[in-house]
Amino acid sequence: MRFTTLDRLKAWLDRLAQEVDLVAPCDVDGHVLYRPVSSSEEVLLDYERPELPAKDYLFPATEVLLRIEQRGKDVALEEVLPDRRQVLFGIRPCDAHGLAAIDALFLHQAPPDRYYQHHRERTTLVGMACIRMWEGCFCTSMGGGPTDATYLDVLIRPGPEGFFLQPVTPRGVAVLEGLEVTEPKGEPLPVEEYNPPVPVTPTAKWRAMFEGNIWMRHGERCLSCRICTYVCPTCRCFDVADRVVDIRSGVTRIERIRAWDACTSPNYRRVAGGHNPRPTNWERLRNRFLCKFCYYPEDFGPLGCVGCGRCIVSCPVDIDITEVMRDVAQK
Amino acid sequence: MSVRRAIIHQLREEARRLLSERRVDCIIGYETGPRGRVRPAFLYEPAEADRLVWGPECVHNLTTYLHNKKKPRKRGEEPPRIGIVVKPCDSRTLNVLFAERQIERGRVYVIGIACEGVMGRDGQPAAKCRRCTDRVPLVYDLLLGEPPAVEPAPDDWSDLERVAAMAPAERLTFWLREFDRCIRCYACRQVCPGCYCPTCAFERDDGLWVDMGIEIPQKFVFHLGRAFHLAGRCVECDECERVCPMGLPLSLLNRCLVREIEALYGHRAGRAEALTPLLFELGPEGSPI
Repeated sequence: MRFTTLDRLKAWLDRLAQEVDLVAPCDVDGHVLYRPVSSSEEVLLDYERPELPAKDYLFPATEVLLRIEQRGKDVALEEVLPDRRQVLFGIRPCDAHGLAAIDALFLHQAPPDRYYQHHRERTTLVGMACIRMWEGCFCTSMGGGPTDATYLDVLIRPGPEGFFLQPVTPRGVAVLEGLEVTEPKGEPLPVEEYNPPVPVTPTAKWRAMFEGNIWMRHGERCLSCRICTYVCPTCRCFDVADRVVDIRSGVTRIERIRAWDACTSPNYRRVAGGHNPRPTNWERLRNRFLCKFCYYPEDFGPLGCVGCGRCIVSCPVDIDITEVMRDVAQK
Repeated sequence: MSVRRAIIHQLREEARRLLSERRVDCIIGYETGPRGRVRPAFLYEPAEADRLVWGPECVHNLTTYLHNKKKPRKRGEEPPRIGIVVKPCDSRTLNVLFAERQIERGRVYVIGIACEGVMGRDGQPAAKCRRCTDRVPLVYDLLLGEPPAVEPAPDDWSDLERVAAMAPAERLTFWLREFDRCIRCYACRQVCPGCYCPTCAFERDDGLWVDMGIEIPQKFVFHLGRAFHLAGRCVECDECERVCPMGLPLSLLNRCLVREIEALYGHRAGRAEALTPLLFELGPEGSPI
């Protein structure tokens, strides 16, 4: 396995930051978050699971799709597809796994999502293996793992005296070209702690449980906020709207944006005329779980959950996806 | 038996009695989940009463769930009668909701608990408890526990000093940096018992005032707008700050207005069953009000 030292890794990161848009885990006022960086000094190399997934850099929370300019009767449309290359450094294996789940819908269904595809083609995923499973993590039950390289371009594994480099794809080989390697010292750090496994139930059983009383039991305390969907590396619902950004004599400038949406939020499912087919918190929560374990895999292939555990630790009322999974398995 | 265990015992007995005598249709209290975390619980059967717990982890303000219980479960029925567990701070919310005609007093059976304070995420006493002057709920039908031996600490507003000391430009920078982390998940609004409008002025899909973008201008307008809508109504339960996944110091905004309203009107939300004077009181001509 290829090996490099801390100094060499930092020099490589500094060079990358000059050449591409580099995104890496940072300490943002006490929160570990993926943020654009301009120097290796800003990059965390020993960190927990970042609090938000990396999807924001391929499927931004807010994205301008079109710029529309109206002059009298003339309307000009300009598509917004910035030609930037980016490296997502230090993402966790579950984040890459989450992107693979999103790919199933945005890339592998026809037609592909033009914007997501554009960013995906220009992005290299350099992952950092986890040295333990953090609170709530259950990736090993969802087909992933703390050292899983499957969905990455490169996997880095920390060692006692440096970093072990495992290129996975041609794109991964290419991004490592500028990184000076040396004689390996020691072994990659083993995974210190595994969390207990969680049962995964076939989609048909989830579907059969639609009418069950477990949804009310788990969902009655749901606040109908958007935390679980926004911290989720696979949730990819969005809404589209036009917003006027400027009106001057005879010229109107409009942006067509898309922004993240959440099926847990009360208005998500409201239709014209005001009817809401999912009027209660527990019906919305049921949809979220059935989407992950029934509708999404049946329609697009992969499960809509990679076991990152973020929704578990960030839910203010202790709604726990693994508790629901265990309940469904036991029924 | 410790005070805490005695309270839990009484709480369960009372819940069993209320449910079996059909005095209430549902009890909203606290339970411990499989991960050992305390969370809101909804009980409908007497046999469920032993799920109830009480302790310093019972931080949630459960009164927010009363808004989900205003409608009958089935058409033609009466709305459900609710038994609810409240701390002193939560009980102030009840006064606000009664005054605003959101909840009928007769539909709620209030189980008040004398409180020694609850814990924040760090396991330390929550900020709201360090300045708490009410160790006994202001509204209750049944009081559990004895007034604890904790000295009430007068509010010194020291939390606001840091921000108040900043020059306006510096303060703007401070807030923009905080709002930058906001993910617009609306957990603060959803958990707030005072945020019960059927359609929020800042709901994203209407886009009349604030568009759906998750960017600083929308977040800025939302947080400031929400704070103003709660002026004279916020009881400082700090739930908005507790649930924020990005750790925004939202109570600073609310407490800033709490202090202003108290200075102008002598009003502190929820201390009595009264509406906010900000919207309903006019002062004499020439007065600052």
